[in-house]
Amino acid sequence: MACVLPLSAPLSLVLRSPQQETKKKGGGAIFASRAELNKMDSRVNNTDAPEAIGAIQQGFERSGYICNSQIATSIFLAERLQKPLLVEGPPGVGKTELAKATAELLGKPLIRLQCYEGLDEAKALYEWKYGKQLLYTQVLKEKLGDLMAGAKGLKESITRLHEFDDTFFNEEFLEPRPLLKALWQPGGAVLLIDELDKSDDEFEAFLLELLSDYQISIPELGTIKARTTPIVFLTSNNTREIGDALKRRCLHLYIPFPDTALEQRIIRARVPEVEERLRNQLVAFVQGLRGLDLKKLPAVSETIDWARTLVLLHARELDADLVRSTLNVLLKFQDDIENVDSEINALTTKALQVAQ
Amino acid sequence: MTEVLGDFIRALRAADIRVSTSESIDAGNVVDLVGLGEREILRHALSQVLAKSEDEKQAFRETFDRFFAFDQFKAKPESAEAERDGSEREPPSGESQNGSGGMPGPGGGGTEGQPSGGAPAPEDLIAMLESGDQAALQMALAEAARQAQLNRIRLFTQRGMYTRRMMEIMGLDGLNEEIERRERADPAGAQRLADARDALREQVRDYVEKQLEIFTANAGRQLREEVLSQVRLGNIDRSDMKIMRTLVAKMAKRLVALHSRRKKVEKRGQLDMRRTIRANVEFDGLFFHTVWKQQKIDRPKVMAICDVSGSVAQVARFLLMFLYSLQEVLPRVRSFAFSGQLGETTELFERERKIDEALTKVLRDFGGGSTDYGQAFVDFERLALDDVDHRTTVLILGDARSNYGNPRGDILKKIHARARRVIWLNPEPKSLWNSGDSEMKRLAPYCDTAKTCASLKDLERVISELLRHAA
Repeated sequence: MACVLPLSAPLSLVLRSPQQETKKKGGGAIFASRAELNKMDSRVNNTDAPEAIGAIQQGFERSGYICNSQIATSIFLAERLQKPLLVEGPPGVGKTELAKATAELLGKPLIRLQCYEGLDEAKALYEWKYGKQLLYTQVLKEKLGDLMAGAKGLKESITRLHEFDDTFFNEEFLEPRPLLKALWQPGGAVLLIDELDKSDDEFEAFLLELLSDYQISIPELGTIKARTTPIVFLTSNNTREIGDALKRRCLHLYIPFPDTALEQRIIRARVPEVEERLRNQLVAFVQGLRGLDLKKLPAVSETIDWARTLVLLHARELDADLVRSTLNVLLKFQDDIENVDSEINALTTKALQVAQ
Repeated sequence: MTEVLGDFIRALRAADIRVSTSESIDAGNVVDLVGLGEREILRHALSQVLAKSEDEKQAFRETFDRFFAFDQFKAKPESAEAERDGSEREPPSGESQNGSGGMPGPGGGGTEGQPSGGAPAPEDLIAMLESGDQAALQMALAEAARQAQLNRIRLFTQRGMYTRRMMEIMGLDGLNEEIERRERADPAGAQRLADARDALREQVRDYVEKQLEIFTANAGRQLREEVLSQVRLGNIDRSDMKIMRTLVAKMAKRLVALHSRRKKVEKRGQLDMRRTIRANVEFDGLFFHTVWKQQKIDRPKVMAICDVSGSVAQVARFLLMFLYSLQEVLPRVRSFAFSGQLGETTELFERERKIDEALTKVLRDFGGGSTDYGQAFVDFERLALDDVDHRTTVLILGDARSNYGNPRGDILKKIHARARRVIWLNPEPKSLWNSGDSEMKRLAPYCDTAKTCASLKDLERVISELLRHAA
């Protein structure tokens, strides 16, 4: 794969291949015989999936988001199958970042909806512009005399009123909130529904229509369909179990803590100032720390912060005292810091050994 | 391909992964999209459509590896070795092998043309065996498995039957006839063919066993779990404890899912004036939004008093396991344990991460004494009676056998007066209540409910009721 291509144009070409092409491939063949299997093989091997996935990975890398092929595969599938992607994993592994990076890669606007307890349609979907509606009724009242001029009797007035356009509930009076905005966005958007587990169950149920058909129902207007199907990301920290109905409609990606090699690459991309030796040491230390029994394990974001801290302190090498004085960047609970304190020496030595 | 995928999904279901029909369709689309070229990509892609939680991902990985294990690649070196072994043992056979290698030439051509017709004829099988074409054999094997409907295998006793059926489909009868015919003309060749036949049978049996494992990986465990959840807790074998633990966790999860749904009840019809005015400030006080009064569903405060003397300890273990697995919907559980004297164990459970260790500690600290309900109630009155209020549910677990001591029903009466509910769980069947030193008749009047509770199913029912009542 050539890396010199300009960023978004060729990638979106790779990503958005026509649907019919995928329909043609495969599809209901039962390979009963060898000949048929061979035929199938050649057909199936023609898919551009590996290249496209590689391209996504490289595109992400250019915008500073380092990921493994699993994550790239999920983006590929979400784009091609037009299915929402539910991303789960411990806090701080880059779930929200993934959505941002995708938006950047595809050159689409990112529309974000932060979930919280008590979030409802009025804040997530749409609201009527009450003020304007009030003004409209005022105006209507003034004009009513003109409209009704010449009408005889109540019946005729009402017939006339019915002929008159009902603009009170109209798209013009609709204030779009993030979800509606994402559906209306010409050219599509990346919609991020962040921390879904924090919202109420009712809201989760309400999302189902949007996620399966990319449409929403507004009682006064009817159904509104997406102009261009947005790419939808949902993230969850698993503070509560997400319902089965919702999971069924989504692709599911679990992002665990990165392994040593990946984390080193991430640090290299995010904090290029840090020297290689220190980088290896600090990553090894954090990886060791994750093996302990802690209330909150340090995530990638904490590793990045720590690397920045060490750069600020002009550290060249890890030692126990340095770790002790900066541990509060990595660990966010006093209990954890106290528990780890006795093991810092051992962990540091081990990290130095591993990094060698 | 759809058939293979269907089998795979069935295997996933056997491994406790829930796959809905719509997800199966998605899986088909995914396969069309990413192709079969790259194993890794296929695995990642399928796992994203089919496995939707961390546990399921793990199970998916294992099943995928087992299901798509490529046998023919493994079989090849083996057979090469066998051939080498053979040629080492009988030097002259190399010559005859060459001869037979020349013979099946036309037959080999036949195999290439044939397969579209379905099962191979006996000649093809013989040719395949003689040429040692493992890939072709594997294909024939898979085809025979399909025709024999091997994916319906459920019991290990069916292995022999399926092996036999698959061999027959692959042309066993013709092969045997051929061996017989050759016996007269070419005994060595016949022997070789017979060996190959036996090797093939081994291979088929292996294949059948592997399939059995794939499709019934969890059937045994599921059956066992079902039995264990109904068996009396006192009778459970030590070796089953591990299954029991996961079972409790599973049941607790189900209860949480069932009861964490609703946190508020809306009292439609009663306007919450204060919040309505607040909500409509922006519209100049015109009431666009109406806010109705709500009632928060209050989860009960639970106090569990557990007899941990020998007879009841086992049940207490599971009750406590349950209560502490329900943190999500029952955030305020206080537990007390006694046999002779009573002590509070709440802190211990909160401190110890592993419930099992905490339980062992509790049993060590409080178990073993002779049971004295009177003393236990006196201790409870001193420790916690003041904290019992109209929102507290008191769960008492015990057989009410107080060794003929005064059970102090008067204290229980006091508790009953203050608490929202008192529930007595007795692991003994009702027919044994009030026999011997059992004091149920003196204590039961002060309980809102007193019931038998001997198995996990009973426990689940009781706790579910506890949560529902609170709602």
